[in-house]
Amino acid sequence: MEGEQVLTESDLAKYPFTAEAAKYVKGLDLKIEDLASIDFKFILDRAESRIEEALLYAMVSGELRNIEVEIPSFPIAVMMVAAAGDTSLKSRYALAEAKRAYDLLKEESKEKIMEIADNFNWRIRPAEDTKNYDFALHFADFLRNAADFHDLKWKLVNRALLNGEVYLTKEEAARLIEEEVRRHIEGKLDTKVGGLPENIMSRVERLRQISVEKRGEKRFEELPKGVVVAAFPPCIKSLYEAASSGRRLSHIGRFALTSFLVNIGMNVNDVVDLFRSFPDFNERLTRYQVEHIAGERGSRTKYIPPTCSTLRTHGVCSSMEEACKKVRHPLAYYRRKLWAMRTEAPKEQT
Amino acid sequence: MSSPSSRFIQEKFAEYYSEKSSDIQPPPSFEKRELAFLLFRERIMLRHKGFKEMDDFRAFLKKITPSDVYYSTAYYERPEAEMGEKGWLGADLVFDIDADHIPTPCAKVHDTWTCGNCGFAGKGTPPEKCPACGEQKFDEKTWPCEVCLASAKAETMKLMDLLMRDFGLSHKEMRIFFSGHRGYHLHVETEGVRGLDQMARKEITDYILGIGLDTKFHGLGEIGERKSRILVGPSLSDLGWRGRIAKGTYDFLLTASQEELEKIGLKRKVAELIIKDKETLLKGWEKTGPWGIVKGIGTESWKKIAQQGIEKQSAKIDSVVTTDVHRLIRFSNTLHGKTGLKKIEVPTAGIEHFDPFTSAIAFKKGFIKVLVSEAPKFRLENEMYGPYKNQEVELPTAGALLLLCKGLAEMPEAK
Repeated sequence: MEGEQVLTESDLAKYPFTAEAAKYVKGLDLKIEDLASIDFKFILDRAESRIEEALLYAMVSGELRNIEVEIPSFPIAVMMVAAAGDTSLKSRYALAEAKRAYDLLKEESKEKIMEIADNFNWRIRPAEDTKNYDFALHFADFLRNAADFHDLKWKLVNRALLNGEVYLTKEEAARLIEEEVRRHIEGKLDTKVGGLPENIMSRVERLRQISVEKRGEKRFEELPKGVVVAAFPPCIKSLYEAASSGRRLSHIGRFALTSFLVNIGMNVNDVVDLFRSFPDFNERLTRYQVEHIAGERGSRTKYIPPTCSTLRTHGVCSSMEEACKKVRHPLAYYRRKLWAMRTEAPKEQT
Repeated sequence: MSSPSSRFIQEKFAEYYSEKSSDIQPPPSFEKRELAFLLFRERIMLRHKGFKEMDDFRAFLKKITPSDVYYSTAYYERPEAEMGEKGWLGADLVFDIDADHIPTPCAKVHDTWTCGNCGFAGKGTPPEKCPACGEQKFDEKTWPCEVCLASAKAETMKLMDLLMRDFGLSHKEMRIFFSGHRGYHLHVETEGVRGLDQMARKEITDYILGIGLDTKFHGLGEIGERKSRILVGPSLSDLGWRGRIAKGTYDFLLTASQEELEKIGLKRKVAELIIKDKETLLKGWEKTGPWGIVKGIGTESWKKIAQQGIEKQSAKIDSVVTTDVHRLIRFSNTLHGKTGLKKIEVPTAGIEHFDPFTSAIAFKKGFIKVLVSEAPKFRLENEMYGPYKNQEVELPTAGALLLLCKGLAEMPEAK
């Protein structure tokens, strides 16, 4: 929004993702060719440290002393991450910058928070009930940012929603802005960047190395081949039993079951056979649909089953077990259960 | 497969689309919608159609005479392209309330099911297993009964209340339709909702259905330190779900019997206490609610009771329809292939007085003789008809068409 400048230069250093900060940097008239010169070493150093901190500590420090370096270091860092073309680096960096914004924001005045929110066109205003809440936010702006959160307190149904507005504390508003910032930065990181000077590319290369090493630390367990029905979560188990006995399944039930089975390695023929006892079984159609879900047709994307919360919405999640509370996805349940079964099994044999 | 009955149905549908097509009005941004048509012949669905002009669409209807007509709730850059290539621009927020999804006082006695294996048949909602042979495959025949439709209307009014008070929508932003069969559709076509993604729509769905609601976020629980801990809860004057929990709990407690209270998982002793102190509990609403005023009813028991309140206050929408951002939905003022009735707009202000069996009738003239195999009692405008069993009757065109479309009657063979 145009109007009087409420954000100071030190604010721009705190929130370098804002439109005002971008305008400030534009005013500096930096050229890519100039970045090779020694004059810009501090900016490059800071850009690099932003990314390195994100990779190593999952945060970016609130370095605010040297504003002339701090503000332009952000767009340069964004450019470097984009140039690295490394997906995990991108998401880690965006998240760390967003976390930094959250830490700074939650200490700010209401006015300042509204100013930052305004940058993303949020429909937000101060709440009239100042005892319990600080802000009222349009539900669509709330949902755009909170719908992915897992904590029950973020579910719309657990909020005070009146006349189209969700009531929030300052801390909660800061958390939602964090999410907005994360997506905003991720979007910026998706641009193709090329033709950077040698001195910058060597920095990018170094950061990419760190990212690869970091990833190596996480071991990804491959799912074993073969289908272990005993490790199915209760929802899938009951769908599986229903299908085996030809009982009718809802559309989403069929999708959940099929996508689950193809993801744990059941082949298309076996999945098709499972549906054979349906009263309205049509081999050609079923095969087509299963192959589609398995990513062997059409868009070639292999579909993964819906999350636990989606299954709950559509009434597919029938009975929660204790073990269900620890997971958010049926495949995660299966993985955990398999792992538990495997570690328990030898004991039983001895 | 062209029996006299299906020939007659098609003739009537053709007549409607050539004479009444000017009644068919476009939804906003008609040219960005995908259109789809279910054909009488072989029950084929013709999809991925798009029209720039309403008149071309009307002419097309006249030409092909479909049994059902749908349009996408989504807006696309290229409505005629394949799914992945359409270029999704947004979608209306749509709710579907269908009698199939709600328990109704009529217990669906008008619906029948037949075991696909042994032919054993019964009334109402089909059982889990066939009582005769244990099979689980059934043919179902449903009926748009007045009680079912009244229940669906009541749910629609609850939905409207949620959308207005909680979501801040105005009457003008909501359009309500009778589906032409067993329920109602509520469309929100305003700019502000179009961009909502699937996750956001899922959250809205959960809100309407009360799914994932935890009463602790709405003020039900114990507060205070050790000795002075007290149990508190929402009050009737609260807003949002908070107030709804109170209202629903009030309704539930007002009529709950000992048996019902035990059925929801309360201990016998707790249920007895509630019955004994019902007067005190109900009086409690005048102040801060019944929570904590009778000793021996603890937080866990109150949570179970409040859960019944949530059940009463939620509106029973079809979760799949609202969360689907590519949904096809019936086109307003077109005919429903299962009834011959129209999908028709219901005035939001006067929904209480809306009568589907008057307003949705597409054919107001003439009488037709049909052979009815079996039909429940039904009403059209102010006349009652049936029940019929294996008899020839002369019915108003709309009634004959209803039974023919439902497969409950046949046209007599031409002499």
